[in-house]
Amino acid sequence: MNILEINQLYKRFGDHEVLKGLDMVVPEHSIFGFIGKNGAGKTTTIKIILGLLKADSGSITVCGEKVSYGETKTNRYIGFLPDIPEFYGYMNPMEYLNLCGEITGLSKDKIKAKSEELLELVGLKNDKKKKIRGFSRGMKQRLGIAQALLNEPKLLICDEPTSALDPIGRKEILDILLAAKGKTTIIFSTHILADVERICDYVGVLHDGKLALSGTLSEIRGIYRHNEYMLEFNSETDAAIFEMLKELKQPSIQIERRRNTVKVRLADPNLDGSFLLKILAQKHLVPLKFNVLEPSLESLFIEVVK
Amino acid sequence: MNRYLAFFKKEIIEYIRTYKLLIMLIVFAIFGITNPLIAKLLPEIMKNLATDGFVITLPDPTAYDAWTQFFKNATQMGFIVTLILFSGVLSSEYSKGTLINLLTKGLSRTTVILTKYFSMVLVWTICIILCFILTYGYTVYLFPNDITYNLLFSVFCLWMFGLLLLAILMFSATLTKSSYGCLLITGIIVVFFMIIDIIPSIHKYNPISLVTDNMGLIMNSIKVSSLYLANLISVLLSIISLILSIVVFRKKQL
Amino acid sequence: MDFQTLKEYLPFLIPLIILENSLSITALVHVLRHPHYRFGSKVMWILIVLFIQIIGPILYFTIGRGEE
Repeated sequence: MNILEINQLYKRFGDHEVLKGLDMVVPEHSIFGFIGKNGAGKTTTIKIILGLLKADSGSITVCGEKVSYGETKTNRYIGFLPDIPEFYGYMNPMEYLNLCGEITGLSKDKIKAKSEELLELVGLKNDKKKKIRGFSRGMKQRLGIAQALLNEPKLLICDEPTSALDPIGRKEILDILLAAKGKTTIIFSTHILADVERICDYVGVLHDGKLALSGTLSEIRGIYRHNEYMLEFNSETDAAIFEMLKELKQPSIQIERRRNTVKVRLADPNLDGSFLLKILAQKHLVPLKFNVLEPSLESLFIEVVK
Repeated sequence: MNRYLAFFKKEIIEYIRTYKLLIMLIVFAIFGITNPLIAKLLPEIMKNLATDGFVITLPDPTAYDAWTQFFKNATQMGFIVTLILFSGVLSSEYSKGTLINLLTKGLSRTTVILTKYFSMVLVWTICIILCFILTYGYTVYLFPNDITYNLLFSVFCLWMFGLLLLAILMFSATLTKSSYGCLLITGIIVVFFMIIDIIPSIHKYNPISLVTDNMGLIMNSIKVSSLYLANLISVLLSIISLILSIVVFRKKQL
Repeated sequence: MDFQTLKEYLPFLIPLIILENSLSITALVHVLRHPHYRFGSKVMWILIVLFIQIIGPILYFTIGRGEE
């Protein structure tokens, strides 16, 4: 089942058309990395999903229900963590979570139990009676996650949760999100690709108002894999023998040797790794390593955005 | 209903912890005490100010003077302080984005507007009652023999005008992003009421008569029934302002 | 004003003094504990809340105090 479906979403601000027919699907129980350059329209998309901004055209469904601007009925399925969450500084975390819980319509006991549990999860247990105005960015971000998870949402939307944090703060947030994965589906907008590689299983790249790329990380890598292999031999001689084999002297095969490692790129779609393995077997050559080269998310991103 | 209550509690906590409630209470208490005091002392002060050859004699002060002070202070300083304190009713939430979080939790915008309005009304009501009780107590103490008419109705009119002002403030707040803009729009609307009051035939419909005719009521020179229409119109205008606020706020991009 | 008149006005003066001072002191404590202002300096706000009766503290809480 898809938690979120976006169809043909258009949005312009004045002359600037931000979204040009965005289609996006987020399957249940995934961590969906929503990637895009700064200003690509990630936050705009999120605000439209939350009913805070009005789309020019297009439709969005959350858990099968249509989102309409100004009405926030579908938001009962959603937990939202803004990029820089702001709370009432004169309250403490317990009071704030209590307010959120009452607005969501949870019972008193449930709010109390859930608040304790979440403050423990995000590591604010010892600060639960301190006023929020004294909190650091990272602490506010963590409280943000706690409030977003309070109503046990089916969909947790995080808008650049790690962009403003230092490496330790980032790691903490990512760990918390990973821990929350079993309970909810997470959309995670970011431009930090390392974070995506660390925790996401689905990715969507927003570029030029559309989803330029989407799927599971391995699917995407599959599409963009260039059929490249890296073979490492135990001596330079072996590597040189392999490099010179006449079976590999074809225009569709590129070979590159650096000392005892050989990089082979197969441009012919009929050939794959087994072809190389067959040759190795015939020639009684045993490589130390046989690697299928994966494209990095960064190189993919640059290729798509180019 | 629970959401109204939850958000209402938040508003009251905010008033207490940001000192808004405290300021309102103290200011209105000070007015409450000083109204009869100023009435009593004014002739003395004038006497002391008068130096050789130039004597200003004022008639002996009465309860009317105390109530004149009450209606003057409350309408001028009281309303100004109230409006300034509440001018950030929405802008403080816009500028920090604190409301977005709660809206995404299913809090409706209608709830926000109505709850904020009625929280302000509650504070205003408490303050005007406090001010009234203090002025009343001290006036009876200082001028025990003076008789006043229609006192409660006269204060009711003042209170009613406060409800209208707060509704207009709420509407202004949905129109602008800043608290200054909100004050400005409210001010312009009040000035508009004052200007159209020049036309005598409009006076009995004009809400401004709720704060200009109070002394007439107390001295029994103005009939209670002549203010019924202005009260009714204030109620209607307040409701219209609130409905407009909700309509505008629901379409506002946050 | 002689002592007799002063005594007559005590029921007014005592609550007034208490109210004005509690307003000033609340503002003063806030000024000292939250050293961020929308404009002006600490010294300026201390002088304002202490020496401009009623209006000073109101000014501070409405336009002077910094964001949380």
